[in-house]
Amino acid sequence: MIEIKGLSKAFPGRRGSEPVQALKDVDLEVRDNEFLTVLGPSGCGKTTLLRVIAGLVGHDTGTVLVEGKPVTGPGPERAMVFQSFALMPWDNVLTNVAFGLEMQGVDKKTREMKALELIEMVGLGGFEKRLPGELSGGMQQRVGLARALAVSPKVLLMDEPFGALDEQTRRLLQEELLRIWEATRTTVVFITHSMEEAVLLGDRVVLMRPRPGRIDQILEVPMARPRSTHLDSVESSGEFTALVGLLWNNLRVMHSDVRRTHPATQAEARP
Amino acid sequence: MAETTLRIERVSLVRRVLDSSTLYRLIALGVFGGLWQLATLNHKSLLIPTFADTVAAIPDLLFGAQSSALWNAMYQSNIALVIGFAISIVLGIPLGLLIGRFHRIERFASLYLNILLVTPMAAIIPLLVMSLGIRDGAVPARVTLIVLFAIVMLIVNSRAGIRQVDPALIEMARCFGAGELSIWRRILIPSSIPAIMTGVRLGLGRAITGMVVIELLLIAVGLGSLIQRFEARFEGAHLYALIIIVVFEALILIQVVRWIERVVAPWRKMPTFGGGR
Repeated sequence: MIEIKGLSKAFPGRRGSEPVQALKDVDLEVRDNEFLTVLGPSGCGKTTLLRVIAGLVGHDTGTVLVEGKPVTGPGPERAMVFQSFALMPWDNVLTNVAFGLEMQGVDKKTREMKALELIEMVGLGGFEKRLPGELSGGMQQRVGLARALAVSPKVLLMDEPFGALDEQTRRLLQEELLRIWEATRTTVVFITHSMEEAVLLGDRVVLMRPRPGRIDQILEVPMARPRSTHLDSVESSGEFTALVGLLWNNLRVMHSDVRRTHPATQAEARP
Repeated sequence: MAETTLRIERVSLVRRVLDSSTLYRLIALGVFGGLWQLATLNHKSLLIPTFADTVAAIPDLLFGAQSSALWNAMYQSNIALVIGFAISIVLGIPLGLLIGRFHRIERFASLYLNILLVTPMAAIIPLLVMSLGIRDGAVPARVTLIVLFAIVMLIVNSRAGIRQVDPALIEMARCFGAGELSIWRRILIPSSIPAIMTGVRLGLGRAITGMVVIELLLIAVGLGSLIQRFEARFEGAHLYALIIIVVFEALILIQVVRWIERVVAPWRKMPTFGGGR
């Protein structure tokens, strides 16, 4: 589905300072119908990676192929869900969800029918005439999800979509996303900074390291699907706890906040 | 039970009256009028009428013996206001949006914009009159001055409006395949509307100021000439009544703009960009 080889991307530094190497020599393959989660501390380039795949920013070296074709800009086979929801406050839910289809030139009647279908799917039936400002954060992100799904993308790119939500809402939306994904099996690239979220949702977890941004390791998540029906037992399973623990041990030493008072921690960091 | 309900209703009515800003406006007006009346009662002078006399002169101007003079003057002045303000809107809003969106245009225009902001406009009236003439009520000169007064507010606020568009929305639109034209139509312009309307409101205030200033300072037509006439005849009550009428016209127009603001941008409370920088 997505093939990335030798991808590097640097941003020009602020006046006089060195350019920032956001990504360096990243190789990654995203399989068809895979739910891939990307985890890492801030500054590890995970969001940049997603924006490169989305075609929102270019890259310096390497190749990025989506369905065998090099990425040169945004395309209809990729849709994105944003951390800040990015809903148009002047348009109602229906128009917001239909936005992607509107940009593709789909006529009003067809796109609104499709949008209504998706609004129903994300559990917002009856809210289609509301403005985003009238909805809670969780509901707004459901709109964002419906908008992305409305264009029937081959790849769903999610940039910390639940990062701005409170704990309980996030939990509900994780369940909802899993339920929808298990029904549609769209390929997903999901950026997060939560280890639990990465393991709970993903088929594989890509762990990234900062300065320069690169892939540290890729972990398979062995828990069976579907998971949405029994999230609690997934979370209390030994596999889940072991994976989260492993990820934390690796993440811990990457943080700029970590103080090297415990040499043992560093020794343990790499399994 | 019934009594309780009744009391709740009465309380809520009192609450509503206390909470409405109309009440406070009326009190403020009453205090102002009372002080005016007190100050002028014992010092009757030719050009300082009492509050009561001034209020009495208002209907006289609107409907009485002076009404034809008033409505003529209103028409003459407002023609320039309408043309000048329309030009300000048609030029100012697109200009402000372009300046806000494209840095090259900004660099080119910022000097002129600053000049426009800081120049005391009254100072260029003689220049305008010399170059545009005073024939036929000097409409071109008056219109030009009104534009110079008003357009800055429209440019500055439109620019501020387009600058504070959420970059995530632009990115979202690009992500879903929007080109520059679609981004303008679906994101940039709707986002900027509240700020643009603030500019329209502030610009309107400046346009009305400009309208009266040029008529008073150099070209005696319309309301300006009427003010001068009352002044020359020492008709103080009529003079101030006329000024009150002009102020009321401005307040009504600004209220109309506020109403349009709520209709075209109901999705959020208005951000205020008080008078530019």
